[in-house]
Amino acid sequence: MMNQGGVTDTRTILEQKSSLEHHTVDPSHAQNPSYYAPPPGSEPASWTSYNHDQQSDPRSVPQASAGTVSSSGATNIEYANYSAYPNNDPYGYGNTNYSGYYSSYQQQPNQPYPQQQPSQTYGQPAGAYQSTGAPHQPISTFQNAGSYAGPTSYSTTYYNPGDYQTSGGYPSANYNNTQTNSWNQGSYANYGHQYPNYTAESNGAYNAQSAPATSVQYQQDYKQWADYYSQTEVTCAPGTENVASTSTSNLAPPPVAASGYSAPNSQQLSASTAPSSWRPESGLSELPSVQSSAPVNNVHEGYWKQGGQGFQNYTVSSMQSNFQKPLDLNPISGSFQNQQKPEVPQQPYVPYATSHQVAQTYHPLPPPPPQTAAPPFDSARVSNVQIPTNPRISLNLPASLPKNSNASVGGTKPAYIGVSLPKINDNASSHAAAESSLKPGMLPKSLRGYVERALSRCKDDRQMSACQDILKEVITKASTDGTLSTRDWDTEPLFPLPNVDLINNDSTTPSSLIKSRRSPSRRTKSRWEPLPEEKPVEKQLSFTPSNVKHSGPSSNNERDKQVSTARPENKENKFSNLKFYLGNQKETNKAGLRPAKRQHVGDGRIGLNDGDSSSDSDKEQSLTAYYAGAIALADSPEERKRRESRSKRFERNQGSRSAPILTKTKNVGGGNLYTRRASASVLANSNSLDDGAASRAVEDIDWDSLTVKGTCQEIEKRYLRLTSAPDPATVRPEEVLEKALVFVQDSPKNYLYKCDQLKSIRQDLTVQRIRNELTVKVYETHARLAIEVGDLSEYNQCQSQLQTLYAEGIKGQDMEFSAYNLLCVILHSNNNRDLLSAMSRLSVEARKDAGVKHALAVRAAVTSGNYVLFFKLYKDAPNLNTCLMDLYVEKMRYAAVKCMTRSYRPTLPVSYVTQVLGFQLTDEKDTSGLEECTEWLKAHGACVATDNSGEMMLDAKASMASLFMPEPDDAVAHGDASLAVNDFLTRSLS
Amino acid sequence: MASYMSMGEAHRRITDYLNRFVDVISYQDGTSLKPLLSLSSESPSFLALADALNLFQDANRLIKQADKYSQYAEIVAPLFRAMQSYRVGHLVESYQAFEKSANAFIQEFRNWESAWALEALYVVVYEIRILAEKADRELASNGKTPEKLKAAGSFLMKVFGVLAGKGPKRVGALYVTCQLFKVYFKLGTVHLCRSVIRSIETARIFDFEEFPVRDKVTYMYYTGRLEVLNENFPAADHKLSYALKHCDPQSEANIRMILKYLVPVKLSIGILPKKALLEKYTLVEYSDIVLAMKRGDLRLLRHALEEHEDRFLRSGVYLVLEKLELQVYQRLVKKIYIIQKQKDPSKAHQIKLEMIVKALKWLEMEMDLDEVECIMSILIYKNLVKGYFAHKSKVAVLSKQDPFPKLNGKPINS
Repeated sequence: MMNQGGVTDTRTILEQKSSLEHHTVDPSHAQNPSYYAPPPGSEPASWTSYNHDQQSDPRSVPQASAGTVSSSGATNIEYANYSAYPNNDPYGYGNTNYSGYYSSYQQQPNQPYPQQQPSQTYGQPAGAYQSTGAPHQPISTFQNAGSYAGPTSYSTTYYNPGDYQTSGGYPSANYNNTQTNSWNQGSYANYGHQYPNYTAESNGAYNAQSAPATSVQYQQDYKQWADYYSQTEVTCAPGTENVASTSTSNLAPPPVAASGYSAPNSQQLSASTAPSSWRPESGLSELPSVQSSAPVNNVHEGYWKQGGQGFQNYTVSSMQSNFQKPLDLNPISGSFQNQQKPEVPQQPYVPYATSHQVAQTYHPLPPPPPQTAAPPFDSARVSNVQIPTNPRISLNLPASLPKNSNASVGGTKPAYIGVSLPKINDNASSHAAAESSLKPGMLPKSLRGYVERALSRCKDDRQMSACQDILKEVITKASTDGTLSTRDWDTEPLFPLPNVDLINNDSTTPSSLIKSRRSPSRRTKSRWEPLPEEKPVEKQLSFTPSNVKHSGPSSNNERDKQVSTARPENKENKFSNLKFYLGNQKETNKAGLRPAKRQHVGDGRIGLNDGDSSSDSDKEQSLTAYYAGAIALADSPEERKRRESRSKRFERNQGSRSAPILTKTKNVGGGNLYTRRASASVLANSNSLDDGAASRAVEDIDWDSLTVKGTCQEIEKRYLRLTSAPDPATVRPEEVLEKALVFVQDSPKNYLYKCDQLKSIRQDLTVQRIRNELTVKVYETHARLAIEVGDLSEYNQCQSQLQTLYAEGIKGQDMEFSAYNLLCVILHSNNNRDLLSAMSRLSVEARKDAGVKHALAVRAAVTSGNYVLFFKLYKDAPNLNTCLMDLYVEKMRYAAVKCMTRSYRPTLPVSYVTQVLGFQLTDEKDTSGLEECTEWLKAHGACVATDNSGEMMLDAKASMASLFMPEPDDAVAHGDASLAVNDFLTRSLS
Repeated sequence: MASYMSMGEAHRRITDYLNRFVDVISYQDGTSLKPLLSLSSESPSFLALADALNLFQDANRLIKQADKYSQYAEIVAPLFRAMQSYRVGHLVESYQAFEKSANAFIQEFRNWESAWALEALYVVVYEIRILAEKADRELASNGKTPEKLKAAGSFLMKVFGVLAGKGPKRVGALYVTCQLFKVYFKLGTVHLCRSVIRSIETARIFDFEEFPVRDKVTYMYYTGRLEVLNENFPAADHKLSYALKHCDPQSEANIRMILKYLVPVKLSIGILPKKALLEKYTLVEYSDIVLAMKRGDLRLLRHALEEHEDRFLRSGVYLVLEKLELQVYQRLVKKIYIIQKQKDPSKAHQIKLEMIVKALKWLEMEMDLDEVECIMSILIYKNLVKGYFAHKSKVAVLSKQDPFPKLNGKPINS
């Protein structure tokens, strides 16, 4: 309280801003009802994250002055706010971040914050964060949570609204920094949204670690919420009131619960599963803390950073959600929102701000809903349940967002988080914000690199020492404050507790140790391992409401995040998330991972549920359809497992959510805006999910599983370049392709048509991975057609494919085509190296082949400039050699005439030129060749005159200076006559 | 031997090695570090160590035991694995482990201010190339795609990046470049050489004369070969001549390699080698060609080309030698001119096309009038013969002054 009081003073402005932001965010979460629900959930989540934050905050928050720290600080504050929300206390505690926040808040009053701030060693804080994430949560955070959970802490958290203000004070140090930094991360706002997810995670952690305490906390939170609701208008007061309320809140919750809170509680119960997920989240929260440190340290692996960021973000989101509720209830919220908005604009948050604003608008809606909010909560709970999965995603997303630069890896996850928030507000804006936030974060990249190195080494040796060394190196490289935190991290694995940083050491060291342990394990387990949710669930059951709530927001956040986060980022984030998850799982409980995944899926679905069922479902369907393609592309067994696990989670969530769903439906009726947003968010989520899947797929694509088995029976098919996974319904099986080839060969239509058909046949062969004599036949057919019309680019494609096919031992007309290849190299590439290698590859049998012999002779004629020989060979070329030589005739003739005008004096009969340069291919008396030759000579600037005997003569000396190579008649600017506009039009018409 | 080695002995050998390794690094004794990294040297001490490792199995524990070892664990642990795999003939695994070790070594090397470990780095770079080649052979024999040499190429590029900067380490850049050349030429991806060459020849941090002679010769040899491929004969002549001039006269194999490319280059600019040179360096495949050029014997030239076609194609001089044909024609026409001059100096400058066709027929080269007319036209066009051709009378009219200009070190006009 003291802290709150003092803090509030300082905070009032800052915190108000932050709180406003948070609040706004919450509104944005919007779906206020849901948000309300989410806020609880988010709060718990946020709590967890807060705990982390707090841990880090106390130590690192000051440090947080650094971007990450600040972000964590901000998140903390937000969390505090959130924590202020019913969830906040318990959740915060439960969630390391929250607890951290709480603790930090408390500490701040106590001096911990000051210390932290003084400590300013972001790196340490970060380390602390990370370490706190795991250890702190259990220990300090829990303790904090306990204390915090203690009404006072909660009150503080509740104060958070107030606290937010006060937190502003805290933040002032932290927030100010954080605001700029963390806020900059926009992702924070996003995170805030994400926080719900994170919160879920944090909840999980809380559940796992301080499940009992968290439950209490949750109750408190709920109470707080109830208080808030009851006190709703007394926003600022909430802090104090909250304190009371928190203390009372425990008592109060029931009443509150009666209204929306009760729902939250139930949600919490449902969330119980979420808690499990929360645990992972807590791990995540730890990670976030790490991330925060990571920014500082950079060294900390991007994973950590990402995770940290993601956590932070999550926490923020939860905070926001809480705030939103308060805001709704409280007029202050409006002010907060305003403040928040400004803040948001300052940084990535700007988008968030917008989203927050939106949220505010939502808030208006929610306030009435608060009770209705319960349904949202339910949805939130459901989402929370999903959140567990989401947390991972959210973590990743948040991480990515904060990291922006890191982004590519962690960014996606953060992006997801951010997206979810934006969705609440405005998906687009939020996404944009998230993206923008993602971009800014340069540190994350370094962190990523660091992490990657460490991870890779870990993989190799699986030795922590190696990882540490790597981390150390990275840290040393990393500039600024982060180094300390990084050192901590590095040392942590080697020297777990003893090495831990000064203040933070206690919490940080364990966390760091945990982290270090986690990192290796994470990698291995990260992707596929499902986390055991059971324990968390049990613990969480009490907490579930909050979790649920969190999940709701988180879902939104996730969606937003997903949307906001670029696909690449998502991928990276996912990876990082996965790793984090692993780490988290190990640390908190393995269950966390699964929950998180489920949350992702569930979030999307929940969002749909929450939103207008029809629109949402439609969107989902479209999304699913859309994704189906992507999935098909990236349909590796691993992904399938993931999907299955996700769907299972969803099922579970649904089961637990059944009651919540009802509330959700109610909410749906009430909040169109929410539903719309939710739907949008759902879409975004689905996209993000897809992206993530795709990204994962990229890493370990199992081509066998991706191979399509066609079912299309159409013989004719237009070529369309694939932009997504092939649809078996439009792919022709081999027997149909055989018919199609014959059909094309017999077709009287022109080359453009045949080329189109052959390309589609080739495509169908490729996607089905058919490589046999049919394939060779198709390519040979196409290559011959291309040679006939002089389509060298298409021919080259076929030729290169044929070379590999022949090399695989598939029978075909390889002699014929090696002759073509030789001719092509000689005549068109003019590359001695290619020519030499092509010649040296010729087998003894090949040299006896008429086509190859001819091609070699042509080569000799060309290299020596022997035009007479060239046109002799031109006359009796086998196969399609003539066609390829055709393409060189013009050059050869020009070179020949140049040579002639230089060496002949005084004149040269045109008839001789006609004969030697292949204008007259028959010996018969045919004047057409002569005329053509005369025309050609004139067109090239030669002087042709009739001599006394009436014979056309080429004046060699006069022509010598006037020869020129005319521009080709059919030349087109883009160099490919086949792309001429007319052709294009005819093609598109056909 | 391994079977007789006791566990204690194995332990002793390994710790011995580790101690030496750590000591050498702490003393910055690059020369002593070299043998510790030289995998393919197959020295007795190395083999004994590999046996010890295979016997002891858990060398990693030893490395971890002491801080002074474990600080280099990332170098030594994979290096041990590489030794073990190498000893039992698993070259692919050996390469992979060695690359890991080399990577760690590069990291350390980067941190060492001075260039004391340059010699050791050379060993690493060399070993990685040799191992990659061996690993590829193993892969190919197992029907798999040989890819290790390619990987070694990208690793060497990384090493090049480490060396290509200001400071004492930059003199090592040329060695790595040369090893890269070897990799690229072996892989047939010589176009990749371009970027390295550009940085060597344009970067101001490099003063070419500053590099060790050994590397300069190698570098000039490979870039000369590249110029041969591009048929840029003056540049090829310059680079290969530099290599020949600075090459250690004792290493005849290297001189032979240089001459293998320098002789065709010199031939194509009209400079013929002495027979003794070809014999001394067993470049007899060129002797017939030189003879054909002296005699104007087209048949001999074509025969020599056909006889050694594979060899010439592989070394990449086939196209260069083939272009000598024009000089052979020139010589043939000149001989006709000289004979005509002896018979009737007043009409010597008019050479009837039939005479040339007859001469070719005597050489068993069946060509019709049009073809020979074309060749005469080309000879005049390329300035190998001064004069003009009168189509109506089918006579080549030669200039009275210097009708057969000598190339004198200049390439044929193209």
